[in-house]
Amino acid sequence: MFLTFGRTFKESLKNLFRNGWLSVATISILILSLYVVSVLFVVTHTVDNILKDVQEKVNVSVYFKPATSEDEIFKIKSNLQSNSSVKSIDYVSRDTALENFKRDNADEPIILQSLQEIGDNPLLASLVIKAKDVDQYQGVADYINNAEYKEKISRINYGRNKEIIAKLNNVIETIRRVGISLGIIFAVISILITFNTIRITIYAQRREIEIMRLVGASNTFIRLPYIFEGILYGILASIVSMLILFLTLKFITPYVSSVVPSENLVGFYVSNFFQIFGIQLLVGVVLGMFSSVIAMRKYLKI
Amino acid sequence: MKKENIETQIKRASAPIDKPAGEILMIKFEGVSKLYKDYSLALENINLEIREGEFISIVGPSGAGKSTLLKMVYAEEMPTEGEVYFNNHPLSAISKRKMPFHRRVIGTVFQDSKLLHKKTVFENVAYALEVLGASAEEINEDVPQILEIVGLGNMMEKFPQQLSGGEKQKVAMARALIHKPIIIIADEPTGNLDPVSSVEIVELLLKINELGTTVLLASHDKDIVNKAQKRVLVMDKGKVLSDYAKGKYKFV
Repeated sequence: MFLTFGRTFKESLKNLFRNGWLSVATISILILSLYVVSVLFVVTHTVDNILKDVQEKVNVSVYFKPATSEDEIFKIKSNLQSNSSVKSIDYVSRDTALENFKRDNADEPIILQSLQEIGDNPLLASLVIKAKDVDQYQGVADYINNAEYKEKISRINYGRNKEIIAKLNNVIETIRRVGISLGIIFAVISILITFNTIRITIYAQRREIEIMRLVGASNTFIRLPYIFEGILYGILASIVSMLILFLTLKFITPYVSSVVPSENLVGFYVSNFFQIFGIQLLVGVVLGMFSSVIAMRKYLKI
Repeated sequence: MKKENIETQIKRASAPIDKPAGEILMIKFEGVSKLYKDYSLALENINLEIREGEFISIVGPSGAGKSTLLKMVYAEEMPTEGEVYFNNHPLSAISKRKMPFHRRVIGTVFQDSKLLHKKTVFENVAYALEVLGASAEEINEDVPQILEIVGLGNMMEKFPQQLSGGEKQKVAMARALIHKPIIIIADEPTGNLDPVSSVEIVELLLKINELGTTVLLASHDKDIVNKAQKRVLVMDKGKVLSDYAKGKYKFV
């Protein structure tokens, strides 16, 4: 049985080359599908990272009225720390706030000047609260709003972040949906084209197939080459697609880095190489084989 | 030692052992008719018995039903009426899946050789063995041998396009013989050949028959039928008109 497999494999390889341009066309569309799906995969990953980055920066800042003492603020801090949704709380004193402000606006002399004019430190002390999950911020804000120390609070700064996060989620969802639709469209096209190629091959070889039957070849013996051909198409397409993907990532990395400095696409590719290749191989081979089987079922009258 | 494969098993199982050779009934047509979908009657009520080891020439004009008769034997077509028995098995009982096994005990030769164009002479003949799952050693041993016998020993790497008609038919013969079938079915094997090649082919068939293989030969070439001097079935319009034990081409 393995003997037959080996022979059939060599046979299929020969046939692939003999089919020339037909093979090239089929493999090309397969490559395109795999490539689109892979790019989708990479984009999703990148966008997820961006989201994580942003989430890190999201927080609820509670500003206290100048009259509030540090002790009171620390009490409130311990109280909040016990809240299950809270991940971390940082205390920013009025002095620290002033330092940060001066540093952030170091190249804006007008602002620094007006600060001097005011004389006193206009900035308030705050607690910067990070929740464990983006959805929990509302809960935390509500909790604070209903707390007994509410009068000591000057304002709670949260609202804007919420919108940013909601918008970002929308964008991600849209990208995901578009990507999946594209992926499906390309997969369907690939199946159709591979199916057609195999169909044409079967038609072109109908006399040969007849002869094989006359000589007593079993149905499996006749079918195997076509299945192998489908699989080979899948394998070759995966390999080329991986190459193109690599080149693409290398090319766009500089552009991506300027937007998302933490993202290293090439590194991602290299460290996940086997996973990506594995998935591509699986998808490619499945697509190839599937199309083959359908074509044979319809056109290889056994 | 070769493992006994299913073809051998079928041969053994079906050949009765209590009758002397030459008496064993190999093929039986019982009231066989073939009506095609376009209402043409290719065969009408054929009753026929063929014994193991016989050499039968089937003659008649074009459209007489010779090819159809042969197709019944290798199950390319099924009768619309009646039954064909092969070694006492009704052919209609063989499922499509099992059909390859039936084909493997038969060797076929046709007017147009039916060679696989993309394979060399060697590969064409080897294919018949590959189908059986033969090992590479067997193939490398048997194929050159048989090609030598038919006189094509030095053309093993050529492609069918590079061969003459006669040479192609020899390859077809080699392929038909390599798997040691129990019957050879030749449908107008000399149709495209010159007289010399035709004689060679018939002589080859006769030699094979001498060694015990049953031969069914359909032809409208009177010369080769006369040369064979064996049993002759005369057909016309789907019927067997006469069945001569040792015939000359008498059809007018």
